[in-house]
Amino acid sequence: MAYLLILPALLIFLVFTIGPTVFTFVVSTFKWNWLNPDQNKFVGLANYQMLVDGSQDPPFAATLLTSGYFVGAMVVGGTAISLAMAMLLRKAGRINVAARTAVFLAHVTPLVATSIVWVWIFNPRFGLANLVMSWLGIPNIDWLGNSRFAMPAVIIYSLWHEIGFTTVIFLGGLTTISTELAEAARLDGCNAWQEFWNVTFPQLRPVVIFVIVVSSVASLQAFTQFFMMTGGGPGFDTATLGFQLYQQAFVFRKTGYAAALAVVLFGITVALSILQLRTTRSLGRNA
Amino acid sequence: MSPTTATQTNAQAIRRGRLLRPLRIAGGRTWHTPGNPNGRVAQLLQPGAAVAVGLLFLVPILWMLITSVASDADVFTFPPRLWPAWDFSNYAKAWGKSPWLTYFGNTVLIAGSVVLLVLITSLMAGFAFALMRFRGKGVLFLLVMSAMMVPQTVLLIPNFIIAQKLGWYDTYLIQIVPWGASVFGIFLLRQFFLTLPKELFEAAEMDGAGPLRMLFSVAAPLAAPSLVLVALNSFMGSWNAFVWPYIMTKSDAVRPIEVGLQAFYGTEGTDWTGLCAAVSFTTLPIIALFLFLQKYFVTGVYGTQGSVRG
Repeated sequence: MAYLLILPALLIFLVFTIGPTVFTFVVSTFKWNWLNPDQNKFVGLANYQMLVDGSQDPPFAATLLTSGYFVGAMVVGGTAISLAMAMLLRKAGRINVAARTAVFLAHVTPLVATSIVWVWIFNPRFGLANLVMSWLGIPNIDWLGNSRFAMPAVIIYSLWHEIGFTTVIFLGGLTTISTELAEAARLDGCNAWQEFWNVTFPQLRPVVIFVIVVSSVASLQAFTQFFMMTGGGPGFDTATLGFQLYQQAFVFRKTGYAAALAVVLFGITVALSILQLRTTRSLGRNA
Repeated sequence: MSPTTATQTNAQAIRRGRLLRPLRIAGGRTWHTPGNPNGRVAQLLQPGAAVAVGLLFLVPILWMLITSVASDADVFTFPPRLWPAWDFSNYAKAWGKSPWLTYFGNTVLIAGSVVLLVLITSLMAGFAFALMRFRGKGVLFLLVMSAMMVPQTVLLIPNFIIAQKLGWYDTYLIQIVPWGASVFGIFLLRQFFLTLPKELFEAAEMDGAGPLRMLFSVAAPLAAPSLVLVALNSFMGSWNAFVWPYIMTKSDAVRPIEVGLQAFYGTEGTDWTGLCAAVSFTTLPIIALFLFLQKYFVTGVYGTQGSVRG
């Protein structure tokens, strides 16, 4: 009986998640023929060889660097900003609740939809972003078409979209920490800054680690905003791992090589997930 | 707040007899937190800063709405005109250019089916993993949880091949069935069922109820708040999905709204008033849903956090 209850879910996972994961490893050892599977050729580790020697365009190392740029900015920027916002909005009250709603609202919007809005905001000639720049006395910037500004522009959009989620996690974390410690610190003459770093932050550390891991996993896989806003360009300047995987497989039709990229992405994600399991376990212990 | 505390709070709430509202309590508690009073200066500056932050995050949404009712001449000027021109003809113009009704219908059909499947599979598997004893339970549970670690992008290539082998390429099926089971759903329901008192089921058993009746007439109604979370999570995932349906389909007849919107962007890439109108009428339903069910969305965040725990 129990097996019958589990069977539907298990079947779906086996056929569409677990099986395909194993299959990805298989595909990564083939020169996969898109149109005629009979011509698939086993090539062993040749696809991985291409990762290492950087013979593909863009070279794998460049893709990793691009991903590192995006993930790093999202993790550092996202964690710092959302923690600051959680501190700002931590008290109850109408204004704060409304502000939290506005921040979280950005997070629930579909990526395709709001990416389009932000492409308009970053429009090189008529965009809102350049209006703000002109107030600062900075001449018009071709945000998405310039290799220096394309990635920062996508990062700004992605921060706008993701910060609501991590802010809510921090707000939740703040409810569990002790208010007595903070009161004691204040009686001892701590100012707000000292209180934050010496009392609040140490208690919040497990949540901070959790947010760091979650946002690195999420930003490592980011795809839609790159697809919509830059198409990986200019050149390959914003072609992150998640985007490259799509582009190599479905645009350049180098399926085997793309599968090798997928294996790498899978490996990094599993490593991060294990880290996450460990941190959430310790989070449970501390709480 | 850690997931353990969330489930503990639920368990406490249940023990206090507030069976039907534990999640609301968790959501409300975190949304309206009493904080500590800071310094006097901070107290004066804080509301202003909060308003500024809120407005800053709303600017892109407001700009979308303003552009959607701007006149074409206004759009192509710099500096841009910030005040709306109230030209609603952009909506009619954009609506006439794509089969939006088909897209909406497809999204509702796909999201609805996914939600229904996810609710059934999560209830059944969550019940079995929480309350039944069987061989290999631990291994099977681990197998289910491991499915969560696999990123969707990794699954694109093999599933594209599988879809073609099954003859599911460019159908509703490939957009529904693979998403018909959710690790989040199974985990959340298992956690919920674990908090229910054993006596409840012993009593049902005495009355001669089999496991199926116990599941659907005793356990499922009690799980309503968790089911709402799971449904919302799957619905949002389905509505916002892009890369999967984009790769797995090619015809408008089966494509959902976000893929349709992307196609519209592809062909009307410089018609900013029309584009913003299209973005508005495809996104406002989701925004409305969020504003109505805010508490569930927020509780869902902590639920996601919980789903990662082994």
